[in-house]
Amino acid sequence: MPEPRPVPVSAPPGAAVRRRRVLLAGGAIVAVLAVAAGVLAVGGWTRSRPRQAAASASDGLRHTSVEVSPGGCGRGWTRPEPGKQVFDVRNTSGGAAEVFLTDAKTGAVYAEVEGLGPGAVRRMPVTLGSGSYAFKCVPDDADAVTGPTVRITGGTSTGPAAVPVTQQDLIPAALAYQKWIQARMADLVKRTDVLRAAVDRGDLAAARAAWLPAHLVYERMGAAYGTFGDADAAINGTTAGLSGGVRDAGFTGFHRIEYGLWHGESAHGLRGPADRLDKAVRALRDSWPQQRMNPADLGLRAHEILENTVQFELTGRTDYGSGTNLATARANLDGTEALLGYLRPLLKTRDTGLPELDSWLDRTRRTLDACEHGGRWTPLSALDRTQREKVNADLGGVVERLADVAVLTDIRRTA
Amino acid sequence: MNGPNIPNGVGRRGFLASAAAVAGTGLVAADRSTAAAAPAPGTTGVPFHGRHQAGILTPAQRATAFVSFDVTADGRRELADLLRTITDRARFLTAGGTPDPAGITAPPTDSGTLGPQLPADGLTVTVGAGASLFDHRYGLGDRRPRSLTAMPSFPDDDLDPDWCHGDLSVQFCAAGTDTVLHALRDVARHTRGGMQVRWRMDGFVSTPRPTGTPRNHLGFKDGTANPDTTDAREMDRLVWVGKANGEPAWATGGSYQVVRAIRMLVEFWDRVSLPEQERIFGRARDTGAPLDGRHETDTPKYAQDPLGDVIPLDSHIRKANPRTAATADQRILRRAYNYDRGMDSNGNLDMGLLFCCYQQDLARQFETVQKRLAGESLVDYVKPFGGGYFFALPGARDSADWLGRSLLA
Repeated sequence: MPEPRPVPVSAPPGAAVRRRRVLLAGGAIVAVLAVAAGVLAVGGWTRSRPRQAAASASDGLRHTSVEVSPGGCGRGWTRPEPGKQVFDVRNTSGGAAEVFLTDAKTGAVYAEVEGLGPGAVRRMPVTLGSGSYAFKCVPDDADAVTGPTVRITGGTSTGPAAVPVTQQDLIPAALAYQKWIQARMADLVKRTDVLRAAVDRGDLAAARAAWLPAHLVYERMGAAYGTFGDADAAINGTTAGLSGGVRDAGFTGFHRIEYGLWHGESAHGLRGPADRLDKAVRALRDSWPQQRMNPADLGLRAHEILENTVQFELTGRTDYGSGTNLATARANLDGTEALLGYLRPLLKTRDTGLPELDSWLDRTRRTLDACEHGGRWTPLSALDRTQREKVNADLGGVVERLADVAVLTDIRRTA
Repeated sequence: MNGPNIPNGVGRRGFLASAAAVAGTGLVAADRSTAAAAPAPGTTGVPFHGRHQAGILTPAQRATAFVSFDVTADGRRELADLLRTITDRARFLTAGGTPDPAGITAPPTDSGTLGPQLPADGLTVTVGAGASLFDHRYGLGDRRPRSLTAMPSFPDDDLDPDWCHGDLSVQFCAAGTDTVLHALRDVARHTRGGMQVRWRMDGFVSTPRPTGTPRNHLGFKDGTANPDTTDAREMDRLVWVGKANGEPAWATGGSYQVVRAIRMLVEFWDRVSLPEQERIFGRARDTGAPLDGRHETDTPKYAQDPLGDVIPLDSHIRKANPRTAATADQRILRRAYNYDRGMDSNGNLDMGLLFCCYQQDLARQFETVQKRLAGESLVDYVKPFGGGYFFALPGARDSADWLGRSLLA
């Protein structure tokens, strides 16, 4: 069984897709920075001057052509006007660059275009009101250049903006979260040992009682999208992708044992899986101190743990007989709140929806708690329609708002 | 709960989005105004504001999604917020325009499935309230429209509870299926947490073949004898709830909406002889003319055929609309769509009619007609299995108004 591979702190995010990477992904995380310039350079090396005039395009919005280059960042924005409008940003330099439209006073970003290739033109839609603004051009391989400050007067509304989060900002949160995970490891091993011991001595009733507490420790750790890499498949894999289904030799971990415990399998048949699970959680615990989390992933995890819950728990996909999807959902909520706690200092000044997110988290917690009675969790199938709609609605309300956390905490280099 | 001075009543992201900005360094308050730029060219919009909602007298657009929702909002204040949000989105989507940029603070505000500029595309979004909305949850018990109940099971029905009723109905109609689905997705996103889809059925209007009223899955023209929607007085008599109808004052300008999911047993139907099919409907299949006429629009002359020798007494058109002075005020405004949703477990095609009609009075109109249709010979070939009774809310008058305002006032 492959073990999780230790990886160094990974490179700052490049053009690689940020989503669906495992937390400790080793090779999978290699940033694909070098998108072939030839592909992107639609206009080749042409140095045609950006048009000075603001124009109205077929979309009915005001369009302004703006240059992106070390010497002319923001050039072309000569007639500032308030309102909803589009900047057509054009990279006239020889290398790829990031482009930001910022508040000249606070540095808050109103719009961004990532990875603008040489010669490429991209749309940057934005709504601007009274204020002072400046473009920032950040070449991939050089220092940022700030364009001239442009003042706008008039205009009733301004689009949303936030001060970008840097890798530096996220490192303390990443370290703290990693420690929090570490602190859960001992509990995970201890409770998994109890499960294995019960299976070993053939006490299946005790094993059924021990299964959920052990599983919930793992779910509380925020395992989403295989956060723990190959270890996750061994610890918490399902039959997805396995040709043999529940009889597939590759089906191991908590759900394999769950299937056996709730489908009349003998203790003898479950000893192997229980033993393998125990080994897998110990391997995870032992390797964790050498792991380095990618700070860029924190916000994604905060969002995606509960996306996973919606996809796999609220549909019952991961139920192999215990009927504890709602307990898992509740543990996932704990894991999300723990992670959000570490991000909170960054979000407080950036996420206008944070109080609202908190109220949805509270609401969801109350709804899920109402599904537990004296340690017994209501199976999904036993919820009546009203209850199930309530659970779906609350989790839906939460993930809709958590999406902003992931976007806001994407690492942006503006200096 | 939101500032009434915000242009277009927007400025919120969606259901229960806090409009208030939070102070803090580097924080810039979002004002996500949806003041629209020009919609994509070449598309026409149906006006959203008015005494009545659009999508009722509006000639049926080609595509629909009829969606029943259960409200999960907690209490009356949240229900009001939910209805305001639905109104805001409907107002924006039906006009078309450019979605607001979200910058780096959120995912894109629009799904992008219609491109960067939303076409109006004839979109209408029509909202109705079911009887269950008037239960204990929101304190609306004394405001229930007079004859709004849960839809009963009629003798020829075989209702599946999973396909019936709901707190709110939203009827999305547009020229294109993509526009309908875009609107459904947008409304569902902005109201997330406040309501959950209970059941949903998509439908389409067939191309007229060769002309005239479009045909249903049984091959017959469907809806020929509708009241004249351009006759305002007739609409006031048949469709709209007025001050004199004994309804709660808030309901003026609304209309009872009945939706029925009716499976058509098309394989069985195809094994029925043409004369038999035509006697069941009372019309010629090819032309749509009543069996005593030549053209689709000819009026059947039942008085000259008292025994039903030409148009059988139990034919569908004769039972549905006997065309007497006594039954004139029982007429309904039909707005039906065909549906097609895959296969049945026995290998038969699962298709039928998403019947929808509007009327001033449920008891006087739909229910009277439905009872008269009991036992008609068509019942062997169709099976109503779902649907519900709803009350289409009065229209939103202007940009400060919202659907349900009078109900919750």
